This record gives sequence, C-alpha cells and structure tokens, in this order.
Amino acid sequence: MTALPHSFAPRRGFQRRCESTIAWVFRAATYAILLSGVFVIGNICLKGLPAVTNSFRSLEQFPYVTNTFLFEAPESLYVFEQDGVKREMGDKEYRSYREAETARATAEGRPVPEFKAASYVYAAGGIWPCIVGTVLLVLGAMTIALLLGVSSAIFLSEYARDSVFVRFIRLAILNLAGVPSIVFGLFGFAMFVLFFDWNVSLMAGWFTLAFMVLPVVITASEEALKAVPKGFREGSLALGATKWQTIRKNVLPYALPGILTSSILGIARVAGETAPIMFTAAYVVRDKLPWEVSKFGDFFFQGVMALPYHIYVVSSKIPQNEYTQGVQYGTAFVFLGLVALIAGSSILLRNKLRGRYQW
Amino acid sequence: MPPESTETSVVDSTATSFRIQKERTQFLGLTWDECIQWFFGGNALVAVIILGLITFFLFREGSSFFGQNRDNITIYRLAGLEYVDLGRQQEKDHAALSRYLADVRLRTHQYYTVQVGLPAKEASARLKEFDLYAERFARASASIREQLSELSELATDIKARHLENQNLAEKRRQLLAAGKKDEAAAVEILPIDFPVEVAVITSTLPAYAEASASFSKSLEELVAAPPALPDPELSARLGRFQELTRAFIASFPETLASMQSWDATVPVPLSQSFSAFIFGRQWLTASFWQDWYGAMPLIAGSMLVSLIALVLAVPLGVGAAIYVNQLASPVEQRVIKPAIEFISAIPSVVLGFFGIAVLGEFLRIASGWSFLSWVPGFPFAERLNALTAGCLLGLIAVPTIFTLAEDAINNVPRAFKEASYALGASRLQTIIRIIVPASLSGIVSAILLGLGRVIGETMVVLLCAGNRIAIPDFTAGLGVVTQPVHTMTGIIAQEMGEVEPGGIHYRALFVVGLLLFFIALILNYFAQKIVRKYKVSIG
Repeated sequence: MTALPHSFAPRRGFQRRCESTIAWVFRAATYAILLSGVFVIGNICLKGLPAVTNSFRSLEQFPYVTNTFLFEAPESLYVFEQDGVKREMGDKEYRSYREAETARATAEGRPVPEFKAASYVYAAGGIWPCIVGTVLLVLGAMTIALLLGVSSAIFLSEYARDSVFVRFIRLAILNLAGVPSIVFGLFGFAMFVLFFDWNVSLMAGWFTLAFMVLPVVITASEEALKAVPKGFREGSLALGATKWQTIRKNVLPYALPGILTSSILGIARVAGETAPIMFTAAYVVRDKLPWEVSKFGDFFFQGVMALPYHIYVVSSKIPQNEYTQGVQYGTAFVFLGLVALIAGSSILLRNKLRGRYQW
Repeated sequence: MPPESTETSVVDSTATSFRIQKERTQFLGLTWDECIQWFFGGNALVAVIILGLITFFLFREGSSFFGQNRDNITIYRLAGLEYVDLGRQQEKDHAALSRYLADVRLRTHQYYTVQVGLPAKEASARLKEFDLYAERFARASASIREQLSELSELATDIKARHLENQNLAEKRRQLLAAGKKDEAAAVEILPIDFPVEVAVITSTLPAYAEASASFSKSLEELVAAPPALPDPELSARLGRFQELTRAFIASFPETLASMQSWDATVPVPLSQSFSAFIFGRQWLTASFWQDWYGAMPLIAGSMLVSLIALVLAVPLGVGAAIYVNQLASPVEQRVIKPAIEFISAIPSVVLGFFGIAVLGEFLRIASGWSFLSWVPGFPFAERLNALTAGCLLGLIAVPTIFTLAEDAINNVPRAFKEASYALGASRLQTIIRIIVPASLSGIVSAILLGLGRVIGETMVVLLCAGNRIAIPDFTAGLGVVTQPVHTMTGIIAQEMGEVEPGGIHYRALFVVGLLLFFIALILNYFAQKIVRKYKVSIG
C-alpha cells in the first residue's frame, strides 16, 4: 500500500465509492433524458427524411426543380397490380392511367382491364396546404399576441406600482399560463366558433392561439423591459422627455431584441399545439388554398389545414403500413424541422444577445 | 433681437403658464400621457378578461348539463328502465359467474394438455362432464332472461315515445316561433301517462319472483354438485366459484325487495345528477338503452397516466437538475440546459405519433421477453395503453420539472454551500443535506407544475392511451399500468367534433373541461403557495 501524497488527498473508501456512484446515477439520469430526446428526434428524422428527399422532381419551366411532398396537396394513394407489375399512384395519376388503359384496350379490341386497387387516403401527394395553413395561423396569432402582450408588459414594467390591482393582474397571468390547451380549445369553440358565429376559421384559431400564448409573451417581454437599466429612463426623464417619449425612444428599442427572441419560444408553442385548433381552425382536408377566395373578407373566415392536425389525422385515422409510413414520418419530420428551426434560432439568438447587451 | 425678446417677455409676464403645459392636449379630460397609460393598463387587463371569459363560457355551456342530466335520469326512472335494470343486474352477475366458469375450464384444459401431456382432443373429452355442468349453469337464467327482454322492450318503447314527443314539442315551438300557427297546431303530441304505462311493467313482479325462485333453485342444485377437477388448485378455484354463487343466490331476496319497493314517481334530486357525473362509473353515449355521463373512468385514467409520467419524470428531472447545477462541468452545463429546453419544444402530437409508430410496438415486444416477465402486467397485448402514454408524458414533464427545479437549486444562497464545505461535508452530503432541503419548496412546486402540464396534455393521451372508457382494473396491482385507459383531455378532443352543440353530450364535455380548468388552477395555486410559504431565505 502506497503512502498518501498529502493529508488532503482524496481517500479511497466506502464513502467515496458511494459518492461517486450517486454522482454517476445523477449523470445517468441527465443523459437518459438527452438520449431519449435524441432518439425520438433521430428516429423521426431518419425515417422522415426520405419522404422529402425522394420527391424532388424536375420541371420544364422556371424553378426547374420542385418537391412534390412539400409543394403539393395530399391525395389518395392507389396500389394495384397490372400485368404482373406492382404500381403505386396518386389519385390524379391513377385516374388518367385508368382512362388511358381503357382507351387503349378498346382501341385494340381487347376486353377492358379490371382495376383492383387498394386505396390509402392522404398517403400520396404532399403537405403544401398544411404548411401554408400553419404559417398563416402562426403569423396571425403571434401578431395579436405580440400587440396585446407587449403593451401589457409595458404597463406592468413601466407604469404599474405595487397595488392590489397589479397583483391581481399578475395572478391572472400566472394562472392563465397553467390552463390546459384543450380548455383553450373548448373556450375558443364556445366563444368564437359558436357565440360569435365565426365558424371554423382562421380568425377563431388566431384568437384562441393568441390567448393561449399571451402569458408567455407577457412574461418574456416584461423580463426584457426590466433588463433595460434604470439610468436610461432617468436620463431621458431628466432631459424633459415625457414618460411615453422615454419608453418609445429609450426603453423599447433596447428591449426589442429581447422581446422578439423570447417570443420566438411562444411561436414554437403556437406552431406545435394541436388541441386548441382542433375545433376552431383546422380542417381535415380542404381542396382550396387559403388565398383562393372569392372576396377578401372570406380570407379571415375560412378554415385551413394545419401540420399538427394533419399529423394527428394521418397517424390515427389511417393504418400503419409501408405505403402510409412515408407521409406519416414525412409530415412529422417537416413539422419537427419547422418547430426545431424556430426554437433553435430563439435559443441561439438569446445566447448571442446575452453577450451583447450588458450594461 | 426684437422678436425673441417679445416672446420671452410674454413668458415672463405670465409666470404660471410654462410652454410645456400649454402644449398639453386634452382628450376626454385626460392628457396624452395619461391616455397612453390607460391604454397600456387596459391591455394588461386582457389577461384578467380572458381568464374571466374562459370561466364564463365554460360555465355558460356546461352549467345546464346538470339539469339536462337530471331529466335524463328522470326519464330513466319514469319509463321503468331503472326497474328493468335491477333485474338485468342479476343477469349480468350471472353472466360474470359463467365467465368465471369458462376461465376455470380453460385452465383445466391447459392443465391436461401441458402438465398431464394429453392431446387437445383427449383433454376436451375429459372435460365433457364439466362442459355439461357449465351449460346447465348458463341455461339456469333462461326463465328470467325471457321476462327481462320483454320488459326491456316495453321500457324502451315508453322512452322512445317520450323522446318522440320531445322532438314534436320542439318542432311545434319552432313553427310557432316562425309564425306558422296552423302547422304548429297540426303537430300532434300524444301524452304519455307514465304511472299507467309503468304499471304494466311492475305488474309482472309476481311472475318475475316466481322465475327468480326457480332460477335460484336450479342454481342451488348446481352449486351443491360441482364437477370433480383433477388439481387441488383448480378445485380451489371451483370452491371460490361456489362461494361466489352462494353469495349471488343470497342477494336474490334483496333484489326482489328493491324491485318491490321501487317507485317510478320518486323525484330525482339535482344532487343525484351531480353525483352521477362525479362518481358515475360509466361514460356511455349514443346507447340505445340509457346514456350515462360518469366522469370517474376519465378521472381515473387521467390520474393513472399522470402518475406513471411523474414516477418517471420526477427522478429524472430532479436528478438532472441536481447534476447540471452542482456536479456538471461548465461545458456540460452549457450544452445540456439548452438541449433539455429543446426537448420541451418537441410538439406533443409528434411525440404521440412516435408512441403509435415506435414506442407502443417496442413496449409490446419488450413485454414478451422472458427475462422481463417478472414485471407486473407483462406481457400485454394492446400496444396503446397507459404505460405507452405515461412514458411519453414523462418526456413532456421532464423539461418543465428540470427547468424549474434547476432554478430553485440555483437560488439557494451560495453561503449555504460554502458553509457546508467549510464544516468538512463532502460534495454529496452538501447536496443531499443542504442544497436539496433548501430548495425543496421550489422542487415541489416544479413537480406540481409538471403535473399540471401532464394532466392538461391532450394529443399524446389521445393517440397513445388506448381510449378504452372504463375504470382501470386496480385489482391487477401494479399491472394496471398496462391497461388501455381514456382521459379527460382525450375525451374532449375525441368527441367534441361529433356532438351536436347544446345537447347533453356537448354540455357534459364542457363540464369535463371545467373540471380540468379547476384542477389546473388548484395545482397552480398550490405551486405558488408552497414557494411563497416555505421559501428559504438568507438571514
């Protein structure tokens, strides 16, 4: 047994072993979380990526290349055997193929071939209307939420003093943050869809989502406003500016990056929620794109397809097999990519800003 | 310069009016700045207004449910369905006993084929006597079954006519509202005299009592002479069967007495409508017999799934928070924190899809592995069950618990830790004895908020929990986790799209939403209260 180098050197013993074991248990817990997260994301990316990469098609005119999965509407998939060859076709292609074959058969005087196709709804084509719908929903909801949320935060951080009224408002915001999303969905359905008679529409979805994300925006904006040093305000007020001038010229500009970056997390939440739009804004399927409306007013009162709802539909309403797997994983992948892009950019921006704004 | 001098002289002459005051425009008696302040204050009120609106609309849509449910139960009683159900309960109990017998048969067959090694045909031949016995047992209820099916038809007929009348009354009301008086008068409603109609049903009681007596007699005969079984364990099961059957026979007079004393005219109190919702064990809609709106299966399902999620998420989340804050290197800290926050950004519907496509199937296969057979509930057949949903909900709760718990640990004053080290405590002792107790209030509130997140989560449970509306069978011990369940959030999402607005079913869903809303508020309240009350502060 070698002598210890000095009296404070770590000693081997039961206690120390115990200690390092427990530290390893904590480490294992941390990495278990990370691994399961990575596994979920990795699995969906690996199986979903082919759906996107395999559907690039060349075009005759300008962009010369397109992606049928990203930029086409969903169709039914038909799987059938013809002359011993197994074929898979989308709805339109299948119909024209059938007509062509029938015409050829009658021209050649053969009996008309029989078509026995198994069909899978939504399994062919792409998800373009869902992407458009999600983007529209997010844009509208965030506009409303930012307008309401930032003004609310300005009041709480700049004007409010500690009074019963303000404490009541803070309590309401805290509680609003804990309300389950499905309850927002119910509320939106009862108020906007039925009581205001807006039907299933973009407007109803916007307000429901905006109300849901409001606490996130308020809290984030208030933190950003509070981070602006007091000296900025005092200096401005001392020079004779009014309160509003101070806020507009000397507080908001410095808080704005913080407000926007933190609100991006709100965007990720808005984009990711399904329950609130299930009965307020989302259609299972819609042929027209949102801008194909007869008059401008109709734009706000139309339902849209949305990515999260589409994932719900394709994963619960159609069977799981080799033909439907593509659209299921592909949609989940595109959606996850979209949300990850938003959330990732928010985290990156925040880290960057933390370094820049230090006063 | 003369012009300037004149202006200053004006200012000087009226010393009280500064230029800055002169320019203040007034709008509704408020200065511009005050207007802005009120505008922002009004916006801040939005949160309060929204919370109020949510409460108001949930109440508005949900409150009349209890009245409608009372009507629903009243009709159940008036039309005699309740009376028939008293008898039908006997039939159901008997069917359950028959199932028990079938289970014993299956086990005996297995015993013959597996332990004795007989071919299946031979085993069946040996069970011939048992089969005859089971058949006689199943046929014993024939006498009451016939009567009951006749009574059922009578009762459903009364109910159907009543519903038809309600529809006609509604039609008449609409016609009157539209101003078509003649057409409204032409709508013919045949009133139902409930006591007379129900008397037809209740008058069969003597005949039913007779049938019931013969039923009980044949059961007694059967119980007295059970078939012989080859194995003591199987015989013990048969003994249990005899016991159960005797208890069943003993309940006959009681059933008859309750049928005797049953009275259609007893009014249904509103409290019964309330308790039928909260404690009702059945959620049965669009049924031809009687709809029940009992929230117990949904509450039990939600609780079970949340419990599984918390059992997984609390150790992981709190452990990770301790590790990241106290043990990890700075590089690890910088990477792990955003990574876990990133997990919270995975949309729940994607996780739900992952559960359907990967996790459910994996768990089902894993449950069949022989080295895991000691786990309660394994193996299981349904890939979508409480466990699958619970695992994914755990992943949803982990980032919430982690972030808040990490914050709480971070807020423990540095001096605590340093003092502990100075006294010679090791790192682990410091963590377990000092850091965790000091931040316990924050950790507990993190767990409560995580629970709130989990209970309110919709898409994962809708996709992965199996959606079977029944109270999970808690007699299975821990194995209950592998049963499919339905949850409060799931039922709203699943049925809201299909119900007719204003109907009782629609209102029932709103009451479930109201329940969820209050659960969320209560959890939030306690989370805040715990933080405020038990906060450890320096000095």
